[in-house]
Amino acid sequence: MNRSRPLWIALLLIWSLLPMLWQLITSLTSSDALVNADIPFQQRWTLAHYRELLSGDPPFWRYLFNSSLVGGLSTLLTLLLAVPAAYGIARMAPASRRTIRTVVGAAALFPYVLLFLALLELAREFQMGNNLLAIALPYAGLALPLALLLLISAFEGLPNELDDAARLEGLGVVDRLRWVLMPLIAPATASTGILVFLFAWNEYPIALTWLSRDDLLTLPVAMARIAGSSIYAVPYGAYAAATVLGSLPLLTLVLLCQRQIVAGLTNGAVKG
Amino acid sequence: MAMVFGWPMLRYSWLSMHASSVLTGLEPVSNQGANWIRLLEDARFWQDAVQTLRFAALSVGLEIVLALAMALLLDQSWRGRGVVRALSLLPWALPTTMMALGWRWIFNTPYGPLEQMAQSAGLSPLNLLSNPDWTWLATVIADVWKTTPFITLLLLAGLQTIPDDLYSAFRLEGGKTRQALTAITLPLLTPYILIGILFRTAQAAGVFDLIQVLTGGGPAGSTESIAQYAYLNAMRFLDFGYSATVMLAGFVLLSLVIFTAAVLLQISGLLRPLKS
Amino acid sequence: MLKLNTLGKRYGSRWILRDLNLEVLTGECVALLGPSGCGKSTALRLIAGLEHPDEGGIELEGRSLDGIPAERRRIGMVFQSYALFPHLSVRDNLDLGLKIRGMAPAKRREQIDAVLSTVQLVNEADRRPEQLSGGQRQRVALGRALLRNPSVYLLDEPMSNLDAQLRDELRPELRRLILQGPQPVLYVTHDQQEAMALADRIAVLRNGRIEQIGTPQELYLKPATRFVAGFIGRPQINWLKKTNGACIGIRPEHLRPDENGDRWRLIGREWLGANQLLLMEGAAGQLQMLCSADFQPGEHLGVSWSPKDEHHFDPISEKRLSRS
Repeated sequence: MNRSRPLWIALLLIWSLLPMLWQLITSLTSSDALVNADIPFQQRWTLAHYRELLSGDPPFWRYLFNSSLVGGLSTLLTLLLAVPAAYGIARMAPASRRTIRTVVGAAALFPYVLLFLALLELAREFQMGNNLLAIALPYAGLALPLALLLLISAFEGLPNELDDAARLEGLGVVDRLRWVLMPLIAPATASTGILVFLFAWNEYPIALTWLSRDDLLTLPVAMARIAGSSIYAVPYGAYAAATVLGSLPLLTLVLLCQRQIVAGLTNGAVKG
Repeated sequence: MAMVFGWPMLRYSWLSMHASSVLTGLEPVSNQGANWIRLLEDARFWQDAVQTLRFAALSVGLEIVLALAMALLLDQSWRGRGVVRALSLLPWALPTTMMALGWRWIFNTPYGPLEQMAQSAGLSPLNLLSNPDWTWLATVIADVWKTTPFITLLLLAGLQTIPDDLYSAFRLEGGKTRQALTAITLPLLTPYILIGILFRTAQAAGVFDLIQVLTGGGPAGSTESIAQYAYLNAMRFLDFGYSATVMLAGFVLLSLVIFTAAVLLQISGLLRPLKS
Repeated sequence: MLKLNTLGKRYGSRWILRDLNLEVLTGECVALLGPSGCGKSTALRLIAGLEHPDEGGIELEGRSLDGIPAERRRIGMVFQSYALFPHLSVRDNLDLGLKIRGMAPAKRREQIDAVLSTVQLVNEADRRPEQLSGGQRQRVALGRALLRNPSVYLLDEPMSNLDAQLRDELRPELRRLILQGPQPVLYVTHDQQEAMALADRIAVLRNGRIEQIGTPQELYLKPATRFVAGFIGRPQINWLKKTNGACIGIRPEHLRPDENGDRWRLIGREWLGANQLLLMEGAAGQLQMLCSADFQPGEHLGVSWSPKDEHHFDPISEKRLSRS
């Protein structure tokens, strides 16, 4: 294994990165060159796809903005709900804690696509369609099980005596969360927040059914729309450019926060 | 949570007993289980169910094997491991719809890189996305590519809980490095593998984005999943009652699969380490 | 003054504390002594308000504490793990409570500086708990309790995380900082030596009930039950075969070698320094004796004691039998 290790690493990287690199290359290749292999190497390259994308109507950055807004809001909402709830649950008797964990775990496993129809009905009922702020509600609800699992483990990892000591120092529930507990579970909160953000950023079926106005689409829906515009002649060059632009924020996030993501994923899965 | 998870299930149960489509002016009218009878006789639903299951089974199977290899590689210590781990995580972080289109370009006939390679190797066109027998394999590849990093991380966490002392003790007993894999690593990793399988099976059974964008369910409906069929019934045919029935049936099928698997595992005793 | 009236706590149907009646007077230190699981920590948590009694009540300075939440009882508690806030420096650990209570910054600073010099941690003020030694952490915990200016101190096994040498060093410190003050002190421990050394009175707990309350001397000289006799005093008391229906205990330090006494065979010994502990076997069972003379294992020796040193207990009720 030792001597062949570089080979394996190379294979791993090729497998993981090549499809993305191909998108990058495609995005820089002129539309003619994409369908004609005979065009000489020097004449194949162009930035036209990017120009097209940024000057489109609505311009591409609009989708990025929408997704960021929805992602940020969902994350905020989820944490706002999950942190106090997780604290309450972690302070319950072991038996009720186990029951809650099982239920929450089952909800986290649930293939949420199956929920879209009922959620859509709700959206119609309360007129929440085509509203970027409102879509954060179902997102927070869907992300809640995972967030709860992660945060309950985090709170359970804190010694009870710390909480008790803070009470005796005169701190009420809010003060304890603010001054003692939140700072101590900050790492877990960060990884939870990042995972929720990724979920909201990437979510498709709900966004597809809740949002229809052009200027309100989130990134995944906007992308899929390009694909759906015509089955046979997808503008791959423009599309690849969109992929690259749309990926950049995520790539940055993942590379910067990989430690928290790894911690969050493994804790949630292992302890849940 | 009750609103987002509990309510839909109740609503579906109710809707599935009603006709609610353009024919009824989108007003629910009770139809005494006609939806369920229609479901039982609906060849398209059953074909989709089979497709969903084979998609989930093959993807999850391949993912586990691949993830195990990756995790073993990433568990060793070498320079640059952190960077490689971060890079290998990227496919998981990107939106499914985005990369599904990327794969559609890669599989494209005749301009995609795969066809180009096949062409220069002198093979006949692969037509990966237009051959009803093979297209589902393309969806599997794209899914494996995207979700393997998740299981890799899970298994990596599992590997790191195995104390090094065990391997030392095994070597002192005269065991070879290769034997350690089956004697120590795999048994102790079993709980993590099972969690991975459980989690991924549930997700794969609800596959929607990937297939919707990569193949649109085609060619000839060969890659359509249950979730997609439910989506079509609701959004294109505007038949909400039947859509709810399909989703509920899909959920029941999935629960059955997971329940059967859990019972089998229980019998085989594989779940025991999970409880300790 | 702290007063506990028939205090009781149960989990489900199991009582872990029952009928606890105890008064801790102004300036007094009472130790709650007992093996683990006897309910002694629960008693502290009830007084602190961290848990609620199922029976009875607590009075502090003549006022009932019923319904007053933990954060509003004026209690200085030192936890077994010290419970220092790991993300805060020593100074911030001390500051948190004062800040919440809305004290002016200048005054806070003044009080904290005073406490820091009392517990001799002036130079460590900006360190985090993880950068401190065990003894220093304990002093931070003591300092935090001092700053509260509480009406009562509750100490939960404050020494059990320290090694033996550090414990000896910290005992005078504890006396100086806390025990000499006017506030009542309740000290929970499972270590009888620590209880004897620090407390004015000791309450021995067993299975959630008090076996005996008394001064250290009283417990040692007149243990009220067989359990107390076994728990107080090291090395442990010897139990002799029953005669005329009573259970008889005799402490190792009250035995002496005597040519005319019963014959016992020496099967082992432990050097303690000034003297040694001899382990002997005879017709009546095994016997431990503290003795400064040198004997070799295998030897047979005569042992005797004075009848006034014997402790007699009823074999069924396990209560002390008074002898004329």
